[in-house]
Amino acid sequence: MQDVASSVNFIDLTLMSILFLFVVGFIGGLVSGFIGSGGAFVLTPGMMSLGVPGTVAVASNMCHKFPKAMVGAYKRWKYGQVDIKLGLVMAASAGIGVWVGIQIQEMILAKWGQSGSNLYVSASFVVILVVVGGYVFYDAMKTGKSGSEEKTCALALWLQSINLPPMMHFKTANVRISMWFTIPVGFATGMLAATIAVGGFIGVPGMIYVVGAGGLVSSATELVIAFVMGFFGTIKWAMHGQVDIRLTLIILAGSLFGVQLGAIGTTYVKEHMVKVVMGSIMLIVAVSRGLAVPRYLTELKLISMSDSTLSILGTASFLIMCGALGFGALIILGAMWKAKRAETAAKIAGTAVL
Amino acid sequence: MKNVSDQKGKGRKAVDESSGSIGTTSNPSQEVKRKILVVGKDYAFSNGVVDYAANLSQRLGYDIIAMSVNPALSTSGKFFSPYNQHLRGKFTQRAQEAWVPVASELASQGIKSEHVVKFEGLAGAIKDLNHEVKRIDFVITDSGIKDQEITGEIPLPVFSISGYQGEKVMAQEHHETANRGKLITRTIGLGLASAALYAAVFTNSATVMKYFTKGGIFAALPIVTVFAFSFVHASFASNLWSLLGIEAAKKVQPRVAPKRPAPRKRPRPQLHLDA
Repeated sequence: MQDVASSVNFIDLTLMSILFLFVVGFIGGLVSGFIGSGGAFVLTPGMMSLGVPGTVAVASNMCHKFPKAMVGAYKRWKYGQVDIKLGLVMAASAGIGVWVGIQIQEMILAKWGQSGSNLYVSASFVVILVVVGGYVFYDAMKTGKSGSEEKTCALALWLQSINLPPMMHFKTANVRISMWFTIPVGFATGMLAATIAVGGFIGVPGMIYVVGAGGLVSSATELVIAFVMGFFGTIKWAMHGQVDIRLTLIILAGSLFGVQLGAIGTTYVKEHMVKVVMGSIMLIVAVSRGLAVPRYLTELKLISMSDSTLSILGTASFLIMCGALGFGALIILGAMWKAKRAETAAKIAGTAVL
Repeated sequence: MKNVSDQKGKGRKAVDESSGSIGTTSNPSQEVKRKILVVGKDYAFSNGVVDYAANLSQRLGYDIIAMSVNPALSTSGKFFSPYNQHLRGKFTQRAQEAWVPVASELASQGIKSEHVVKFEGLAGAIKDLNHEVKRIDFVITDSGIKDQEITGEIPLPVFSISGYQGEKVMAQEHHETANRGKLITRTIGLGLASAALYAAVFTNSATVMKYFTKGGIFAALPIVTVFAFSFVHASFASNLWSLLGIEAAKKVQPRVAPKRPAPRKRPRPQLHLDA
C-alpha cells in the first residue's frame, strides 16, 4: 500500500488553485446543504484539471464530503427535517449498492477498457439524469404553477398501501412502508454513487417518489446517507494513503460555510424549490455529460471526430458542469433573498400596525 | 386544604381544589368558572408567573388551575419502577408543600385555585388536563419552560412568562442585540482557533503529507483531522452567519411529536371451508 502512496504525485498548491477549490467548495456546499448532494461532480473533474491524479481527487473529495454532510445533517436535524432511521436504512442498503456498482464497473473495465468504462459512466449519467431529472423538474414546475401543497405521488401511495412485512414506520418523514420497497431505493443510490459519484441524484427522487417522503425531508435525509457512505469510503481511500489532506481542508473551509447557508436556505423557501434546484442541475449536468460522449465513442472507434472538436467539446462540457452548480447556487440564493425580503417587509408592516 | 396528586401519572384525574374564600365546588349547581392553566416544570412556581396569573384572574374573574409537570419521571423501565414511584412521591410532596402558601395567598385575594401534579410530557399533560377539567381558556407556562419543549398539538393558546417581573414581561422574541457582544467574542475566538488549525497544517505541510499518506493505520490521521477541523470551523461559520443576520426563518416547524399511528388491521390467513 505504501508504494502506491509514494508513487502518487501530490501537486504543489498555487494561489489560483487554492481560490478555485475554496470557491467551488463553497458553492458545492451551498447546493448540497440545500438538495442533499452535489458539488462532487464539479470538484472531482476540477481537481483533476489542476493536475491532481484521479484517485487522489476522488479520495480527497470524499474526505471533505462526510464532515460537510455531517454538519449539514446536524443543522437540518435541528430544523426537524432529518429522518435518521430512513437515512440509516438507506445508507445500509446503499453500501450493498456501492459494492455491486464497483463489481459492474470492474467487469466493464476488463471487457472494454478505460474508454468503455468512461462511456458507460457518461451514458448512465445522461440516461438517468435526463429521465429522473426531467421528471423532478416537471413535477416541481407543476407544483409551483398550481401553487398547491406538495402531494405524495400515486406510486408512493400505492406502495405504502401494500402490506408486505416487515413494515417500517419513519416518523419524521411520516411514512409507513414495507422494508422491501425502501431497500431498492438505497441500493440504487449506492449503485449510482459508485458509478457517477453523486448518489443523491437517485436517492432524493427515490425517497420522494417511491418512499413518499417530502422534498425537504428527503434532501435532509440524503445528507445522513452521504455522511455514512463518505465516512466508510474515506476510510478505504485513506488506508491506501490517497487522501491529500491539504486539498480536503481547503475545500472544507469553503464548503462548511456553504452547507450551513444552504441548510438555512431550506427554512425560507417553499418545499418544491428543492425539486426545482435539483431538477435543473440534473438536466444541465446531463447536457454536459452528453457532450463528453463523442470523445469516448471516438476512442472506441465507433465514430470519428477531429481532436480540436473533441477538445472544444471537453471544455464546453466542463464549463457547463460548473454552470450547473453555479445556476443551482443562484436559484437558492435568489429564493432566499426573496423570502428574506418578504419577511422583513412583513415585519415592518407588522410594526407599523402596532 | 387537601391536595390529591396523580401518582400513577397517566390519564387519571388528579384535581382537587384548595379551598378559597368562596368555598368548595362540590355543589354541582354552582356555575363552573373559566380557568387559567398555569404550568410549571419545577415543584415550585416562580413569583412572576403566579403574580401575573393572579392579576389576570382578578381582572377576568377566572379561576386558576396550577399544574406541576415532571416529564422526566414519566417513564421508567420495570426495573426502576419502585424507585420512580419513590421519586414521584417526593416530587408530589414538595410540589404540594410549595403550593400551600401560594394557595392561601391567592385565596386571600379572592381567587379560587387548584393544584395538580402530573408525570408526562408537557403537551400530553396539558391535553389530558384539558379533557379532565373543563373550561380551561388558555395556558401560561412558567419561565423555566421553553417554547420548543411543548411539541404536539395543544388545543389551547399558550403564553409564556420570561423573567420574574410578573405582569410586565410577556415573553418576547429573543433579541440578538443583548447577546450580540457575546456572539462577536465567540465568533472571533472560533475564527482564531480555526485559523490556528489551518496554519498548523499548512506551515508543516511536508511533515503532514508524509504521515497522512502512509496508509494503513495512519488512515486515522486524516479522518481525525477533518473531524476536528469541521467542529471548530463549522461552529465558526455558523456563528459568522448568525452575526451577519442570516439565520433560519422563524417559521421552522419544531419537531412535532408524531401522531400515534392508528391501529391497523393486518391481513391474516384465514381458513375457509368450501362445503
